[in-house]
Amino acid sequence: MSLAVTAAESPPVAPVRTRRRSWLPLAFIAPATALVIAVSIYPVLDAIALSLHATRYAQKLQFVGLDNYVALLSDHTVWDDALSAVIYTVGSLALVIPYALGIALLLNRPMRFRGAVRTLAILPWVFSQTVTALLWGWLLNPEFGPITYASQQLTGAPAALLASPTGAMAALVGVNVWSSYPMAALLFLAALQTIPSDLYEAMRMDGAGKIALFRYITVPMITPTLTVILIQLTLLYFNMVTLIYVLTGGGPVGSTQTLALRVLKMSFENWDLGKGAALGLVLTFVNLTLSLFYVRALRAPQR
Amino acid sequence: MMRARRLVVGNTLAGLASLAVIAIALLPVLWGLSTSLKPADQILAFPPKWLPDPPTLTSYVQVWEQSNLPIYFRNSVIVTIAALVVALIVAVHCAYAMARFRFAGRNLVMLALLATSMIPGIAILVPLYDLSVHAKLYDTFAGLVIVYAAWNVPILVWLLRGFFESVPIELEEAARIDGCSRLRAFYKIVLPMSQPGLLAAAIMVIMFVWNDFLIAFALTISENRRLLSVGLYTYISNYGVEWGQLTAATMIALVPVVAVFFLLQRRLVEGLMAGALKG
Repeated sequence: MSLAVTAAESPPVAPVRTRRRSWLPLAFIAPATALVIAVSIYPVLDAIALSLHATRYAQKLQFVGLDNYVALLSDHTVWDDALSAVIYTVGSLALVIPYALGIALLLNRPMRFRGAVRTLAILPWVFSQTVTALLWGWLLNPEFGPITYASQQLTGAPAALLASPTGAMAALVGVNVWSSYPMAALLFLAALQTIPSDLYEAMRMDGAGKIALFRYITVPMITPTLTVILIQLTLLYFNMVTLIYVLTGGGPVGSTQTLALRVLKMSFENWDLGKGAALGLVLTFVNLTLSLFYVRALRAPQR
Repeated sequence: MMRARRLVVGNTLAGLASLAVIAIALLPVLWGLSTSLKPADQILAFPPKWLPDPPTLTSYVQVWEQSNLPIYFRNSVIVTIAALVVALIVAVHCAYAMARFRFAGRNLVMLALLATSMIPGIAILVPLYDLSVHAKLYDTFAGLVIVYAAWNVPILVWLLRGFFESVPIELEEAARIDGCSRLRAFYKIVLPMSQPGLLAAAIMVIMFVWNDFLIAFALTISENRRLLSVGLYTYISNYGVEWGQLTAATMIALVPVVAVFFLLQRRLVEGLMAGALKG
C-alpha cells in the first residue's frame, strides 16, 4: 500500500538519486537482509517443517501432516495452559494500567525532586526478568522471606504465597506488574505532556471540577496511547517465559504454566521438538492476530 | 485560603504517593543488597533482620573467588560488546540505505523487517537451536552474537532511519561537491550528526543482550560459554541455595545496567521508548 503511494509521488526524484546504478545500496542492505533471513525467516520455515513431522530429538522422522496440531488441541492440559496465559495476561493488564497511569499523573504534577522521583520510579525497567524473579523469589521465600513473615504477622496463619496455586499466580502477576509498569508509565507521561494546558484552563473557567477535567480532557487525549500500551503489554505478557520460568517454574502443580512456558518445556525439557514447534507457531499466529488488531486500532482514530 | 490549603494537602498526598512508589520500586533490590552484605548466620534469620549487623563483603568474596561468576561475567561482557558492534555496523548501513537511496521494494523491505520483529522469540527458539547445531555454532560465542545482532537489527534500522532522515541532505551534497565520496560523506557527516540516535541504539542492544535469558539458555551448554543470566538461574536451580552468595552475584550482575541507567537515563528512556513503540 505505502509502496504504491511512494511510487506515485516520487518518480521525478527517483531517477536523480540512482542515475548511476550503484552497488552501494545493495552492499548496505545485504548484510542486514542476510542476517534477518538466516535468523528470523528461515527459522520460521524450519518451525513449520518441524511441526509437520514426527521428531526424535532434533531429528525429523516421517511426515505426519497436522497430527502434532491435532494432538495439541485435544490435550486438555494445553487448554489449561491457555487459560493460565489468559489469566496471567488479563490480570496483569488490569493492575498495570491503573498503576502506571497513576504514576504518570503523579509525575506530571509540578513538584520538588520530580526528576529524582521519576528516575527511581522507573528503575525496575532495567532489571532483567531473571534478576527480577530472583530478587522477588527471595522476598517471597516461603521459609525466610520478609513478605511471608509480614503476612504471617497480619493474618496469623503461615502464608507462603508461592506454595499455593492461586497464591503463586497472584504473586506472579504482582511481580510482572512490578517489572513492566515503567514503560507504560513513561508512555502515559509522554501523552499527558502533549495535552495543551489551555484546554484545562478553558474548562476550569466553565466551572468544571477535577473529575470532569480528567473524564472529558485527559481520558480522550490519552486513549491512543492507552491502545498502544494495551497491545504492547498483551504481546509481552502472552509471550513471557523467563520471569515465570525462574520465579515459579510453572508450578505449583502447573498452576502458573502459560502457553509460552509450555513451548519451552516441551522443547527443552521433553525434547518433543515437533510439538514444541507446532505450539510455537500457534503462539505466533495469536501474536499476528493481535498485531493486526493493533495496527487497525491505531489507524482508526486518524481516519 | 481554601485553595491554598487544598494545594498543600494535594502536595502532601503526592509526596506520600511518590515515596510509596519509590519504596515499592526499590524494595527487592534493597532486600537483596542487605542480604548480600549479611554475615552467614543472619541470612536465614526468621523473623528477618532488615539490616546486616555488621555489614560484610564475605559473600562477594566467596562468589567472586569460588564460583564461576567471573567467567559468566566475562562471557556476558564479550558477547554484549561483540553483538553491539555487529548489530550497529549492519544496522547503520541498512538504515542509511533506507533513508537516502530510492529503489524498488524499499518500503516492502522496511515492512518485512518490522514483521520479523513481531515473531515471538520463544516460537523460533527450537529452529535456532537446530540451526546452530547444524552450522557448528552451538555453544559458541559466534552463535550467540549472530542471533543477538540479528534480532536487534530490524528495530535498530527503524530507529536509525529516522535519525538519518533528519540530517539535512544539503550537508551531504555540499560535501560531495567538495569531492567527498558518498561513503565518506556518510561516515564523516551523517554518522556524527546522528550521535543521539546511535547512542539510543547502542543502549537498546546492550540492555537486550545483557538481560536476555532465553537465547543463552537455548544455545549454550558449557560453563565456559555460559552467560550471566543463565548462570544466576542455574545457581538457584541447584539444590541448597546460598542466598548470601546468590544475592551478591545478582548485585554484581546489576552493576553495568544500573550504571548505564543512571549515567544515560535520558538516552535510555528514548531508546527503550522507541523500542516499545516500534517493536
